[in-house]
Amino acid sequence: MRVLALLALAAFILLPLVQAVILSFTATLPTDRVADGTLGLMNYHAVLATPELRAAMVNSLIYVGLNVALCVGIGLPAAYALARVRFTGDRHFLLAILVFRVTPPVVLSLPIFILFSQLGLVNSPVGIALVHCLFNLPVAIWILESFIRAVPPEFDETAFLDGHSGASFFLRHLIPQIAPGIGVAAFFCFIFSWVEVVFARILTVTGGKPITMAIQAMFSFQTDIGRVMAMTCLSLVPGVAMIWFVRGHLAKGFTLRA
Amino acid sequence: MRPHDNRAWFLLLPAVLLLGLVGALPLLAVLNYGFHDIFTLQDVHWVGVEWFADILGSDRFLASLGRSLLFSTLALAIQVPLGIAVALLLLSIGKRAVWGLMLVALPLVVPWNMIPMLWLGLIQPDTGLLGPGLAALGFDWKFTAWHTWALILAVDTWHWLGLVVVLAYAGLSAIPAAYLQAAAIDGASRLAILRHIQLPRIAGALAIVFLLRFVDSFMIYTEAFAINAGGPNDATRFLTLELGEEIKGFSYGQAATRATLYFLIVLAVVWAFVAATRERAA
Repeated sequence: MRVLALLALAAFILLPLVQAVILSFTATLPTDRVADGTLGLMNYHAVLATPELRAAMVNSLIYVGLNVALCVGIGLPAAYALARVRFTGDRHFLLAILVFRVTPPVVLSLPIFILFSQLGLVNSPVGIALVHCLFNLPVAIWILESFIRAVPPEFDETAFLDGHSGASFFLRHLIPQIAPGIGVAAFFCFIFSWVEVVFARILTVTGGKPITMAIQAMFSFQTDIGRVMAMTCLSLVPGVAMIWFVRGHLAKGFTLRA
Repeated sequence: MRPHDNRAWFLLLPAVLLLGLVGALPLLAVLNYGFHDIFTLQDVHWVGVEWFADILGSDRFLASLGRSLLFSTLALAIQVPLGIAVALLLLSIGKRAVWGLMLVALPLVVPWNMIPMLWLGLIQPDTGLLGPGLAALGFDWKFTAWHTWALILAVDTWHWLGLVVVLAYAGLSAIPAAYLQAAAIDGASRLAILRHIQLPRIAGALAIVFLLRFVDSFMIYTEAFAINAGGPNDATRFLTLELGEEIKGFSYGQAATRATLYFLIVLAVVWAFVAATRERAA
């Protein structure tokens, strides 16, 4: 019974992915050298040989990396403050980040585009990295806060007595202590930024296309679905690697205070 | 009790500035645009609440609102119980649960615009793995309304079940074993343990699941648009699809009004959620 349920779950989750993997190894658009339906690596060769697609992967990695760094770097002091002290307006701040996390991107897409074109941040990975903080920074703050709370305040006081304060306390004491929390926060920021398409689309008008938009652009009058699926499978690699790295801490979850 | 110290705002300052730039400022702009007729950015006219009256008074808006609410209700009704069931299932297999968690987390890392493509490939009548079987059963997602609904719900469930499972599992695995042992000694049934111990203990985690899943399904766009673009006959025309049409049609004033209305709906839901959690905590 239990085994059956697990198998049904695995089938449900894996079926669409299996389909994609099979297609990615199949020639779907016949050429003079390869017949339709041949199995092999040709789609991957073709995709990796296309400069625009390689550039798209690099673009995505740049803005996602930048976004993770921003969210963890800015979220960590904020999470520390929220975990350790009360202050005037703390509950309003928590409410505000909750509202920002759930504000639908499509609601803000238009003014974000206008604002960022005035700031010269359109077609640049920096723009996407900044705007993805809208929903990732709150998530990073919640996760980091719940991990910092699990560290007793005496830990901080000991470090302060040893003469550590400010940046040196964060870097040498707090970060090593909550390393799994940083991993989980980085994981969620990474995946939400990697898979997002609404902002990524409107902020890349002519250049700096991310991987999601590059895949979209492969659909045309005569779509080679095999190559599309090969590119999709490649786009899953970083996310799957992230899942593997944080697997032991995936279910620590985050507690929400508002 | 944590000490009171307003210097904490210095630590929050970078976060406040960043969210002000990418969150508060654009929100104010949307609010402002919603009261204007915008041909180009140089040609803007004040129209007051005209767009608001237009949209709120139109049957199309109310119909889309109804569809979006129904979609969110169905999504929550399927995904929350299913997610808890899967989390309980994983809890019962001990250390091997980590493989299950990795499995259900997989769909979370798929780019959103590719999720509908994966599913459309799967149900393609001649080449998909499930296509021929579904076609033989008469499944026709292009022209039969409830089939489109079923497909979008299946896709959304596939996409987000992992989040529900991970958060529910995190809550469930944090319950001290002593509670469950005590209940077992008292001869409590499986159902009673779930009802009186497990669910109340994960209420906090479930609240955030409900909120995130409600808002995200209420504002579903990428998947719904790619699967049938609101069809057949507007049967899956959700609120976001109407907003997308207006942005694509350069009706920026109306689009901003609509965006403001959607934001207000979301805000009301957050408000209700926060009020409910505070009441429970008090």
